[in-house]
Amino acid sequence: MQEKSILKKYLLPIALAMILVISLVLGVLYMRNFLMELTVRERSNQLKEIVTQIQANLTSGLETHWNLVLGMEKTLSSKRFDEDDDVCGIIAYLENVYCTELYGCKVMLIDSQGNAFLSSGSIGIWNDIAHLIGDKRRYTFISETDQIDGCYLVFSQEFEHVIEIENDISFSHIVLLKDIQTVKQYYTTTTYGGSAATYIIRENGILAYYDAVDEDVIGARNIFKALREVEYVQHDNFEIVKEQLDKEGIVATEIIINQAEYYYCLTKLGSYNMTLMLLIPADKIAINTMNMMNATIRTETIIVLAMVGLSILAITSFVNVQRSRQIVKLEQKNNRELNQLRLVAESANAAKSTFLNNMSHDIRTPMNAIIGFTNIALKQNPSSSIKDCLEKISDSSEHLLTLINDVLDISRIESGKIQFSPAPTNIKQVNETVVNIVYGFLVNRSINFEFYQEEPISEYVLTDAVRIREILVNILGNAVKFTGDGGSIKFSVHYLSASNGNTVIAKYVVSDTGVGMSKEFINHIFDEFSQEENSARTLYKGTGLGMTITKRYVDLMGGKISVESEKGVGSIFTVEIPMNICTVSNFVENSYSSNKVDLKGLKILLAEDNDLNAEIAIYQLEEHEINVTRVCNGEEAVKIFNDNPPYTFDLILMDVMMPKMNGYEATNQIRSLINHPDSKSIPIIAMTANAFAEDVESSLAAGMNDHLSKPINVEEMVKTIVRNITK
Amino acid sequence: MKKLFVLLLCILISIVFITSCSKNASIREKSAEEEQEITKEKVVVACWGNQMLDTYTSYLCEKFPQVEFEFVLATNSTDYYRFRQDHDDMPDILTVRRFALKDAVLLKDYLYDLSNTELASKYYGSYLDSYTYDDGSVNWLPTCAEVDGFIINKTLFDENNIPIPTDYSSFIASCEAFDERGIRSYVSDFAADYTCMEVLQGVSIPVLQSMEGRKWRVQYESGMTNQLSKEVWLPVFENFFDFVEKVGLGKEDANYPNRTPKDMFSQGKAAMYRGTGADVITFPGRGNDEVLLMPYYGSTSNDNWYLTYPTFQIAASNKGMDDPKREKLILDIMDAMVNQQGQDHISYGKNMVPYRKDVTLELMPEMDNIKPYINLNKLYIRLASNEMFRISKDVVQMILKGEVKTPEEALDAFNMELAGEEPGKEIVAHIDTYYSNDFSPEYGNQAASAIANTMRSISGVDFVFMQSCYVASDIYSGYYSQKDLSYIAKNDGGWPGYVELTGDQLYTLVEATLSMTGNRGAVCNDSTLYVSSGFEMDITKKDGKYTLNALTVNGIELDKDKKYSLIIYGDRDWYMTEVMNKIGITSVDTNGPKAEEYLTECLVNQARQLEAPSKYITLR
Repeated sequence: MQEKSILKKYLLPIALAMILVISLVLGVLYMRNFLMELTVRERSNQLKEIVTQIQANLTSGLETHWNLVLGMEKTLSSKRFDEDDDVCGIIAYLENVYCTELYGCKVMLIDSQGNAFLSSGSIGIWNDIAHLIGDKRRYTFISETDQIDGCYLVFSQEFEHVIEIENDISFSHIVLLKDIQTVKQYYTTTTYGGSAATYIIRENGILAYYDAVDEDVIGARNIFKALREVEYVQHDNFEIVKEQLDKEGIVATEIIINQAEYYYCLTKLGSYNMTLMLLIPADKIAINTMNMMNATIRTETIIVLAMVGLSILAITSFVNVQRSRQIVKLEQKNNRELNQLRLVAESANAAKSTFLNNMSHDIRTPMNAIIGFTNIALKQNPSSSIKDCLEKISDSSEHLLTLINDVLDISRIESGKIQFSPAPTNIKQVNETVVNIVYGFLVNRSINFEFYQEEPISEYVLTDAVRIREILVNILGNAVKFTGDGGSIKFSVHYLSASNGNTVIAKYVVSDTGVGMSKEFINHIFDEFSQEENSARTLYKGTGLGMTITKRYVDLMGGKISVESEKGVGSIFTVEIPMNICTVSNFVENSYSSNKVDLKGLKILLAEDNDLNAEIAIYQLEEHEINVTRVCNGEEAVKIFNDNPPYTFDLILMDVMMPKMNGYEATNQIRSLINHPDSKSIPIIAMTANAFAEDVESSLAAGMNDHLSKPINVEEMVKTIVRNITK
Repeated sequence: MKKLFVLLLCILISIVFITSCSKNASIREKSAEEEQEITKEKVVVACWGNQMLDTYTSYLCEKFPQVEFEFVLATNSTDYYRFRQDHDDMPDILTVRRFALKDAVLLKDYLYDLSNTELASKYYGSYLDSYTYDDGSVNWLPTCAEVDGFIINKTLFDENNIPIPTDYSSFIASCEAFDERGIRSYVSDFAADYTCMEVLQGVSIPVLQSMEGRKWRVQYESGMTNQLSKEVWLPVFENFFDFVEKVGLGKEDANYPNRTPKDMFSQGKAAMYRGTGADVITFPGRGNDEVLLMPYYGSTSNDNWYLTYPTFQIAASNKGMDDPKREKLILDIMDAMVNQQGQDHISYGKNMVPYRKDVTLELMPEMDNIKPYINLNKLYIRLASNEMFRISKDVVQMILKGEVKTPEEALDAFNMELAGEEPGKEIVAHIDTYYSNDFSPEYGNQAASAIANTMRSISGVDFVFMQSCYVASDIYSGYYSQKDLSYIAKNDGGWPGYVELTGDQLYTLVEATLSMTGNRGAVCNDSTLYVSSGFEMDITKKDGKYTLNALTVNGIELDKDKKYSLIIYGDRDWYMTEVMNKIGITSVDTNGPKAEEYLTECLVNQARQLEAPSKYITLR
């Protein structure tokens, strides 16, 4: 069915194209024929003109000679002959009188028996005597006999009354014989470069005389018969030609003799019962016209061939276009299907992201409560057994949180949710922050930690500080985790120049004297959920995803990570991350003083919809003697901030997911308050269960200054508050 | 070892294969030869007269071994070919001596146009013009010219102190002188139509060649008139009456056959007779006499003319000429017939005048006096239409017999016959059975056998022996006019001669006939073999020669001692003379009916059918 429709679709245009091609070809053939006919006509006309001129010349020449003959006849008719007169003498006399200026002439007298007399004497019965027999008194013909050397144009006039000379010999005819070669100028032409052959033909078609430089190509006695048998180019045959000759007195046409083209022109020589024919090779006639015609035909043929070629190309293109369209349609259909699949996938991905976000948020929120209240409980001087329970709850919660974070992170990486987002960064500060975090890990541990940082080529680079921090914290955290007390950890940072000069490679080396790893494990260290020996899971709590995430982050940033380790000796992790150097102007200094700041009396506006979280936060903040004003949604936060005089609050802790107005919107509105002088400057810190990097970015993008992920780590919160109020 | 065996086997197979191939090749070659023999191209040549059987037919057979010639002796008339054409049986090559364009034009549509052939291009233009129709086509071409005039015995003139005539008056004077001496001055075979016609025209050539005479001839030959012009022809008859009177011709001359004047001349009983160059050779007077061929005399020597005519004209049927291969073959044969070699066979190279540029015929000394006439072109070509022959004979014989008294009466009689219907056109017979004239080794020539059997049946003789080619065509079944009937076996040279001979003489006669060469009865191929009626011939053919093995009568060997009556049909003067000499018979009676008269007797007078052919020959 589809094939039929395709066929139909192709058939019409192809048929049209074919018709066009055929029309063009037919057109060319028609034009060619037309031009050929035109050429034949043109050549025939030209030939006719020439032959008409020859005919006129010849007729005029013949008339001149006839006048002589008539003069001689008159002379003889009026002359009285004496007995002494002899025929030869009289003929010699006539030749002297009439033919002195005409070379090649002979005068002949013929007696009543047909005996012919010349000035030299009698030649007997003239072989051509039969030509004089008829009703006419005057005959013009061509004579070539063995009685008189040469070929002659004969002008024969019968006397009105026989003339008796010399012993009563009666003469009936006077004949002028004109050597035909001497009148050549009358019947030949030099127009065709000497290629024209002249045929003088008797009434019955018999050749009387042939004159040409070349051999007679017709080679026949009966010329009319030969012309009947040759091939005619323009559908003529000799009967048509003859009819036209009889009707118009002149005719020209084209023939083929021995595969060569010739033109011949026949014209009747008035009343002389002779026909003059000129035969000329076709390529000698109207050469310029022919060249022009040939050029025209050639050009036309080339054009048509080009058009035919174009038509073929057009057909091919059309077929290709039709095929392409089919392919495009098929591709579009596939694309639509793929789009649908993509949309489904994106939808699924979005659902997954939503799920992950919700999971993160919803798990972190109770986790925040558990950790928070456990910490609060620990600070209530519980009994040792309760404290032990609380500490175990706290450890378990921390572990659970780590597990949750890692699982969520790896899921997000795999779903492509995590992307590398380079931003102008003071790399030196990032590294120092990491070191500070590590110091936190080393509390209550007796591990020798050494940090060395080379002076960077440029402090300011384009990189993803969050990811670098996570990578380094992960590696250093593991080093702390797997290095026993009394061991040592070395953390060094070097900066290598890349070949392009615009990039610096930060080379981080973390070496420890920890438990080390077996060679077999090293091969799988970056695999998910890989931990050496099962016992490690009990001894060193972890998800087994940390190094996997680290590796993915390094890869994401175009860097590389390697590890050397020996069981029982320690491990060396080397991370190299390329960073583009950026100028100082690109970098907004966000440094803060790390000096301890007294938070007492600090006024914080806390926007938190969850009561438990709010309670924990308030407890933790108030522990630092901070005055906390809590609102339950963003709208209230904006209202309170706006309703209070400027600088009523030193800082705002803003939950994100809140009813009525979320934290982003609220931040945006606060920052937009024109009549509130501190609306732009007041630090707003996101404090949310949305813990992902993009959540951090979203917070910053909404105008917040920092981001705290739930569950809240008190120390982190304090540091963050300090960092922001001291800016 | 195994490889060696395979190699030897291959060689053996190759040898066997090659040997069988060469064997096959030789078989194929042999077959091709046989096939060529079988598939010889057949060409039918109609011969105008039996002199062509002399050496001419043998020459053609030798010249074209790839051709199977069928020669037939035609009636010397273009009308004969009209008869053949009526039966769609035109010979491939036609020859005729009695020719006028006026008659020949009736065959124009059936004959090949030679105008643009190489053959025609070899002729002098002025001669060719005489054969050219108004549309320029040319069907017929002449061979060499036979010269006709007065053959005189110069020795006899000298012996009687009579000067050789130089003009008409001296001719008459010589006639009177011979008459005074009791020697017949001039005699001719006025029983022959051609003699009547030629002498009638010959004594008035200056009149006929005058401008008026020429004009009338053009009109007559173009069909514009069928009457003799008084202006031209009355003087002709006046001259003839004068000639008859002064020469002393009479009633008896009207019946002289061809041989009588020649015999008288050969015996010295006549001083002059009408004859040709050929006759000068054939009948040289009394043996050692000096013989001259003199012109027809005019009133002055300037008016003397020789009368000429082509020995024969040649043409080709246009049937089959659209095949270029066949066309070439026919034209080649025609060329061979009229080229130097061919004309040498016709004229013996001595007594004729060529029309072709590339042919030279040296005249014999007896004809030296012709040369000036040739140079002056004083050679009158006879007006030789069929009716001219017929009516000239009628009128001349009437003049000789005194049945018309004046030239005017003669002219009127001539014109009356010209205006009348040609006699012999009425249907007179019907032939029921067709007989082929082709020779087959099994049956011989069926048509000739039928004619021989009929002649034997009508004449009542024991045997008939005739050359098969004297039967000029197939015997077609259908109605026949008297004229058509004559075409079957009428020719100038064939005479049935009656003779009685023994079986032994007959055997010798047949044997001599088969071995004869260079004679008008010679056998050159199967188509010229002889037919026997009343006896059978057993002949062997080897290398183109025929030898007699046996003669039988109804299968029983011929009784060599028994006397038999025989009609021998063939050339009288040459063939019969030679064979009769061989069997010791001096005279043959040729005064009996001619062949066509036997047919008339059978089919018309007795209203019988022809006798059926018989199996008369065994050719080995």
